Amino acid sequence: MRYYETIYIVDPNLENTILEKTMTEIGQELEKTKAKIINHRDWGKKRLAYQVNNQKYGSFILLQYEIKELSKINDFHTWLKLNSLVLRHMTVSLDKKPDKYIEKKSIGEVAQANDAPSTSDKSVNKVDVEKSSDPEKTELNKEQ
Amino acid sequence: MAFQNKRKFCYFKENGIVDIDYKDVKLLRRFVNDQGKIMPRRITGTSAKMHRKLVRAIKRSRSIALMPYVESNSE
Repeated sequence: MRYYETIYIVDPNLENTILEKTMTEIGQELEKTKAKIINHRDWGKKRLAYQVNNQKYGSFILLQYEIKELSKINDFHTWLKLNSLVLRHMTVSLDKKPDKYIEKKSIGEVAQANDAPSTSDKSVNKVDVEKSSDPEKTELNKEQ
Repeated sequence: MAFQNKRKFCYFKENGIVDIDYKDVKLLRRFVNDQGKIMPRRITGTSAKMHRKLVRAIKRSRSIALMPYVESNSE
């Protein structure tokens, strides 16, 4: 059992629905090789370091999976090569089992949820500080 | 310049990095000159073991168009 990571670049001008469709298609094609998909996610649109098929930008998609039969993976690679929407792809073997990717959105929401009370606490504290400092100031003013 | 310190050290050993990911372009950019060439170990001070891994990572990210093979300065 080995773990692999395939990264592929898709035409950046695709609409989101078509992009998702191609992603599911590619996922299904990979599952034909009896591979277990661990992660399949959009890494985002990036500027390419050099032009590929006259494209300056590309949306990168990351695919991590484990596979038993390596003989079938070549079919998947040729299929990717023939797919006109995929500009370029590369497969790399991984040493360790990749962690399941948790979407940033949920983390952001959690962080926001955590932030919200803390900020309110801070504001409360600030108010307290201001209140506490006010009498001192007034006292100082009186002394002056 | 990043590598003008008198005493050289291996960036990866210093920061406890064991595996170099080819997707981490920001890190790999440190070890490439502005033409896009991989800098020699004698200048960067990277250990031999990590330099081999670094070279592999840079070449991988070049092949997937994350890093350039050649970069012209006139651009």
